[in-house]
Amino acid sequence: MNKDAQMRATINQKLIETGERERLKELLRAKLIECGWKDQLKAHCKDVIKEKGLEHVTVDDLVAEITPKGRALVPDSVKKELLQRIRTFLAQHA
Amino acid sequence: MSLQMKMEDMSLSGLDNSKLEAIAHEIYTELVEDACLGLCFEVHRAVKCGYFFLDDTDPDSMKDFEIVDQPGVDIFGQVYNQWKNKECVCPNCSRSIAASRFAPHLEKCLGMGRNSSRIANRRIASSNNLNKSESDQEDNDDINDNDWSYGSEKKAKKRKSDKNPNSPRRSKSLKHKNGEIGGNPDPFKYSNSAGINYETLGPEELRTLLTTQCGVISEHTKKMCTRSLRCPQHTDEQRRAVRVYLLGPSASLPEAEGGVENDSFEVAESQALMSRLQWDGSSDISPSDSASSKASTNNSESRKTKKKKPHLGLVSGAPGLGSSKKKKPKPPAPHTPSIYDDIN
Repeated sequence: MNKDAQMRATINQKLIETGERERLKELLRAKLIECGWKDQLKAHCKDVIKEKGLEHVTVDDLVAEITPKGRALVPDSVKKELLQRIRTFLAQHA
Repeated sequence: MSLQMKMEDMSLSGLDNSKLEAIAHEIYTELVEDACLGLCFEVHRAVKCGYFFLDDTDPDSMKDFEIVDQPGVDIFGQVYNQWKNKECVCPNCSRSIAASRFAPHLEKCLGMGRNSSRIANRRIASSNNLNKSESDQEDNDDINDNDWSYGSEKKAKKRKSDKNPNSPRRSKSLKHKNGEIGGNPDPFKYSNSAGINYETLGPEELRTLLTTQCGVISEHTKKMCTRSLRCPQHTDEQRRAVRVYLLGPSASLPEAEGGVENDSFEVAESQALMSRLQWDGSSDISPSDSASSKASTNNSESRKTKKKKPHLGLVSGAPGLGSSKKKKPKPPAPHTPSIYDDIN
């Protein structure tokens, strides 16, 4: 377990150091906007806010509501592409 | 040391595929959660700053601008060729015109626009040409030379009777119809052959043309040669003769050779002139032969061979040039330029 944890830590470190993590983040964001994921989720946010009341909504509320839906709504193509890139990175640097 | 070993261990053992896959998924999940979190922060800030609901409109407007997805209609709901089959009434002529043809029709109808003036000019010129060739030859010699106004010939062969019956060669030349001209309905177009119909040009235009172009009139096509003044197909003598013929006896050549003298007319000189102007059938391309100084031989040939060739007015009026009706306004005969003095 320790090994795994350590390995993951190393990999994460490498991701950050090479700048790959930032690149992946930007790529994901762009793709999600393109496919309309962001708009869908925003509409969901509106519902949540209307439900909870404009004044009293907190970040935690939003996070709790949005994250599971967000994870589910990511289209397969985006997911596949991102995984592919991560695997490539791992193959290079692992 | 131990650390190094550990590192090696890690790199080697980490090559387990499933583990790698698991790690990849983990990384992916982290990235997605990051994105979600980013969105949440954005929305929360918008809510708290009060601009989250600003882009909402009432449901009525939303419906108005909904995207339309029907066949035959664009996304705004408009039809593409709605006005294609409609007809409009022209305010000028009160006719019903198809919408797509309306603009060009209006242009012609009102007489404005580039093409309509061009067409109008052409029509005027053609009607002038026809009218003048019918009338008596009191007017402009250049345009009104019936011998060569083949434009009128094309239009109505019955006009043969209108032409000068005095000239001996009239009938022959009229019978001869050049295929090229027959096929050309528009006499003053610069049509297939690279020449110009000189009968349609006024004296001023002729003058300008002749100062820049060869201008020798081809026997076959009755058109002026548009090549340069040094064109190898024709000689200077031919050019001079043409200028004299077209612009009158006092016409000066672009080369401005020693001035034209208005000598008294001599039959021999005119005959020499005619021989130059007239080229026997095949020798069109080689003008040097016909323009040689063998005036007498050429002359006799021209007399005997009553070929069906179009001749310039000079030739046909050889015996009685002075009495030719056509040449009334002009002095009795074209005065030969000085170069012909050499021959005599």
